[in-house]
Amino acid sequence: MTGKLLGVASGVSLAVLAVLALVVVPPDAVQGDAQRLMYVHVPTAWLAYLAFFVTAVASVLWLWPRTRAPHWDLLAGSSAEVGVVFTGLTLALGSLWGRPIWGTWWEWDARLTTTLVLFFLYVGYLALRRTGATADERGKRCAIAALIAFADVPVVHFSVTWWETLHQDATVFNPDLDVRMEGFWMPFTLVFSVLAFTLLYATLVRTRLRLAELDEGREERELQRAIEERRRAEVVPA
Amino acid sequence: MTLLRESALVMGKDLRIELRSRVALQQILPFGGVVLVLFAFALDPDRGLLSRVAPGLFWAAVLLAALLAVTRSFAVEDANRARDGLRLSGIDPGAVFLGKAAAIAVELLVLEAALGAGVVVLYDVEPRGVLLLACAALAATAGLAATGTVYGVLSSGLRARDTLVPLLVLPAVTPVMLGATRAFEAALDGVPGDGWPWVQLLVVFSALAVAAGVAVFGPLLEES
Amino acid sequence: MDDNWGYVAAGYGLTAGVVAAYVVWLRVRIRRAERSLRDEADG
Repeated sequence: MTGKLLGVASGVSLAVLAVLALVVVPPDAVQGDAQRLMYVHVPTAWLAYLAFFVTAVASVLWLWPRTRAPHWDLLAGSSAEVGVVFTGLTLALGSLWGRPIWGTWWEWDARLTTTLVLFFLYVGYLALRRTGATADERGKRCAIAALIAFADVPVVHFSVTWWETLHQDATVFNPDLDVRMEGFWMPFTLVFSVLAFTLLYATLVRTRLRLAELDEGREERELQRAIEERRRAEVVPA
Repeated sequence: MTLLRESALVMGKDLRIELRSRVALQQILPFGGVVLVLFAFALDPDRGLLSRVAPGLFWAAVLLAALLAVTRSFAVEDANRARDGLRLSGIDPGAVFLGKAAAIAVELLVLEAALGAGVVVLYDVEPRGVLLLACAALAATAGLAATGTVYGVLSSGLRARDTLVPLLVLPAVTPVMLGATRAFEAALDGVPGDGWPWVQLLVVFSALAVAAGVAVFGPLLEES
Repeated sequence: MDDNWGYVAAGYGLTAGVVAAYVVWLRVRIRRAERSLRDEADG
């Protein structure tokens, strides 16, 4: 029931967001209509970071002996998958915005580069999840991998920032990503977009978690059946 | 003290295996050389481009070869259930990590010396700022070896292990690739002052990677 | 200012497309998992 409600709420709020961002909000004085992309780019980026943060927290909860439960491992994996989808989307939206504003699809800006590395780090994490170990073994390895990836992000960001500031004078484009929000509708729509996408995140993770639990149950049952068959095969000839 | 002695034992074991099997010498080292040649084909050598981008190409070649070294280091443990032997030997898991990482680091340093000579000859690079080059190489190698060893044990014994290691390691060592390349550029350009901060970054990264490795190796070596 | 509605349309279209595709894909996989569980229970 909560799932249905959550789904409907996120669907409605996304529809409202589309109307706000595409119709109600006036075009930006400097960036024109391209600035409307911010109302999806910013919340998808927020959602990606939120998702990886949840993955890290769930991984800690799995590793902590007192809170260890299979549930945390599945949540970490589900959240990471949603995070990867939205990191990819963030990068694509950033490119679509950068093309008209910066005049280029890609700029080796610190934020962009870190996000790209982040994307690959968690693609690797998802690949690690699918390598068929027992639930406990997978939980342990993936929780550790998630925490290492999470800890790696600030170091990557730091080194990339440093690298970027070295040849900033070579940058012909204005790399200023910070958007000035004027009037009432611009900040309102941005805050609303973040809320709407957070709802979407909750819906997606909930759904993905349900799938993870189903898959887990099926794998367990298959294992059980295989063991039983083996046992029967051993008993009969004797 | 015992930690260091045990690490040295593990490192000695891995290095002895490599000396006897010659896989590192006869496969990984030539692979690095082939990569250097490949870069020359990719970037027309006539235009002086090669000597300008030599630091980046050098570290890209080292990185690719390092992936092979890591995979190899854990393939050795998978054979004949050597991993169980290692686990039951009573050696501290932290020492196992340090030993395996040190062995990889030694292999990489040999590789870097050989590839460095290759870069000087093939890419028309004049070595300058040797102290900075050496320090950057040492710090970067420690970071590479430690990160590689962590991801090596993380994916050891899993299916698709060989393809998983590159995907996990390469994004994680972004700071090493950046730092080592910038430090080398600064040294070769004759402005070592620009390079030392990157060496500091490399040292910090390596320290973090080693600490992480010592911390996680125990639980990762258990069971499985 | 140039007319950038093309980029905006592409961005919003892409977002809608990716979210919709992901939701459908999740639904399909859930249904498949549920069906196989039910089949197992029957057999």
